[in-house]
Amino acid sequence: MRGLRKSFGTKQAVAGIDLEIAAGSLAGLVGPNGAGKTTSLSMMTGLLRPDGGRLLIRGIDVWADPPAAKAIIGVVPDQARLFERLSGEELLEYAGRLRGLPAGQARARAAQLLDVLDLAADAKRLVADYSTGMRRKATLGCALIHNPSVLFLDEPLEGVDPVSGEVIRRLLTRFAGSGSTVLFSSHVMELVEQVCDHVSIIDKGKIVATGTTDQVRDGKTLQRAFIDLVGSRATGEEGLSWLGSSSS
Amino acid sequence: MARLLVQLKLRLLRNALRSSRSARAAFILSTVAAGLVAVVTFAELAALRGNAASVDLTTVVFTVFAFGWLILPLLTFGLDSTLDPATLAPYPLRTRPLAVGLLAASATGAWPLANLLGLLGVTVGLASGWFGVFTALLAVLLEVLFCITLARFVTTGLAGLLRSRRGRDLAVFLILPIFALHEAFNQVVPKATAEGKLTAASFAGVDTWMRWLPPGLAAHAIQDASDGRPGAALLRLALLAAVIVVFGWLWVRSLGRALVTVDTSTQSSAVRGVALPFARSGLCGTAAARFWIYQRREPGSLIYWGITAIVMVAVSVSTIRTPGYLHALLLSAGLGAAFVGAVHANAIGRSGPGFFLEAMALTGRRALRGYFSGQDLALGLIAVPLLTLVSFALAAVARHPVDGFLGLAVDLAGIGAGLGLANIFTVFAAFPVEKRAGSPAPRAADGYLGYAYASTFGSLLGVAAAISPVVLGVVFTRSDPAVARMPVLVLCAAGYGIALARIGVRFAARAAEQRLPELCQIAVRSKL
Repeated sequence: MRGLRKSFGTKQAVAGIDLEIAAGSLAGLVGPNGAGKTTSLSMMTGLLRPDGGRLLIRGIDVWADPPAAKAIIGVVPDQARLFERLSGEELLEYAGRLRGLPAGQARARAAQLLDVLDLAADAKRLVADYSTGMRRKATLGCALIHNPSVLFLDEPLEGVDPVSGEVIRRLLTRFAGSGSTVLFSSHVMELVEQVCDHVSIIDKGKIVATGTTDQVRDGKTLQRAFIDLVGSRATGEEGLSWLGSSSS
Repeated sequence: MARLLVQLKLRLLRNALRSSRSARAAFILSTVAAGLVAVVTFAELAALRGNAASVDLTTVVFTVFAFGWLILPLLTFGLDSTLDPATLAPYPLRTRPLAVGLLAASATGAWPLANLLGLLGVTVGLASGWFGVFTALLAVLLEVLFCITLARFVTTGLAGLLRSRRGRDLAVFLILPIFALHEAFNQVVPKATAEGKLTAASFAGVDTWMRWLPPGLAAHAIQDASDGRPGAALLRLALLAAVIVVFGWLWVRSLGRALVTVDTSTQSSAVRGVALPFARSGLCGTAAARFWIYQRREPGSLIYWGITAIVMVAVSVSTIRTPGYLHALLLSAGLGAAFVGAVHANAIGRSGPGFFLEAMALTGRRALRGYFSGQDLALGLIAVPLLTLVSFALAAVARHPVDGFLGLAVDLAGIGAGLGLANIFTVFAAFPVEKRAGSPAPRAADGYLGYAYASTFGSLLGVAAAISPVVLGVVFTRSDPAVARMPVLVLCAAGYGIALARIGVRFAARAAEQRLPELCQIAVRSKL
């Protein structure tokens, strides 16, 4: 992507992003709250029209030909955006059918994904009754059912328990290992450090560092490198002198 | 504790005035409505003085108020934070002082005060003599206390269910009998009163069994005291007080349980069915499957269909047995079809964040045409039989069953026009919606009320204009034999309706192709 920009009123959410992600890589996009991660991912996936810039996915210009771009990508947004009144099974089948899979294939893939995502036992429950972690997994299932070339995920492990997190982590690693590309944003530095081969750090709508995970870390932990790059925030903890005493 | 909870309630009420413009307007309107109810109730009850059926009517009014207290808190469960024990469960509070505090909080606010002041009309209308007035004051106090205790007992007992998705779904259906009653009062009562079919005397004896209910005990205690039967009056009041004590005891027990069983998050049940219906029929069938399932499982959708049927009956019920029945029949059909269009004129906004999933797959104009066609197919599968059924039922009530076909002709043309317009409005005037406590269906998000009005009135007017050729056809062929005109009218109207729906689909698909990212942003902002 080149010069990607987006403003909301007077606030510039994304201030000209240049970023290149190699095919087959598992890339992480990290940044503090409000840095522009979700806005960037929305523009990359054809869901939010940018003010300027160009975006190519596998040679397809996302905003010149959105249908062609959407056909090869899968998206897991920051908040579960699902049809709550469908059961998990119906939801995945619906996602598959929307993507043009034949009914039988959509149903078979839905069953396989529900099984891998540990949702098979809850397949017939309404999504409205799912927990946060189950919704994340169902969203991931919807994003994968058509076997996309590129997968975008916004905070994929937010609200997910460690066991489900491990399931998602394994699935992403396997997916990227097959030659597909994964780009995800996350606050969890350990996850990015363990899983990603490429990392980009975004702050105030701009990429402040990008490269392989080792390059960005520069011999430190990713958490340390991140704080060094974006700066730590003032805490004002002095005012909490009463906290921790036994009296009320 | 009572003081603290009353202060909390007052602060919540005060904060309603400081929140968003629409919330402030709703609060002010609600307060004004409470004032009106107080004045009108007082005046109506006071006007019963000297009426032979005054005690019967007072019993009915007392019972209606108790019924209101029973039903409305279930609908507004999430609106009043003090109704839900879960909000207080984390604090180290003992049940009894908490119960007293919650009771005091319930009695605080414009509506409880309006109830109290309005019902005091019995001191003029039913009571006579100092003992009668004294008993009336006591009876009204006990009646209001009974209403509050009953409401508290029911909401606390059902709190776990109401907090769950299934319970909220069920509570929403309460709006249907309330809406039907509202329509009956609007459409039937004024006409029956004007024609002299409904007078105060019509209520004489209606309290044969109501007099033994707690509100009836209160009303009859006043009459006993006024007629010089103090013993009977005091006995009735004592019985009413005993009922309140029993409900209060049950409520305290229920509250104790509710404070330690607030989490119902794991309660859910499975759905039946193994595959999406119609899903083998391409994108159109796939979209139809989703909309079809939603019409059955989304309580808001079922409510809208119920309201459509009620409106169709309500607008025609007072004239359907008169020589002008045909006007009523056609008006009912046209309005029903217009409602179908108006209700679905923001389908994308009402789809909510899930529309993201569809937006990712709607690649191009052809796919969008399939999507809108699928939506129309699912809605048509419900709208056509429902409107047909109501039209023929009304025609049968009018004793002209064959004229049901005339209603059907308007139904078919109107449904086609309504769905076509709905598709167009959902693209050009899409707006995010929010599901709020106290509202059975999602409402326009703040700042989008104008969009909601535009699409609703646009649909109503558009359908009215679109069905006018069919209505003219019905009028101008009146002298032709039914066997010839009916099939022609129905077939032509069906073809016309389908053509209008298809035009809507094509127009909407063309526009949506350019606006898909913006439509997606609107949909994800909906809070369902």
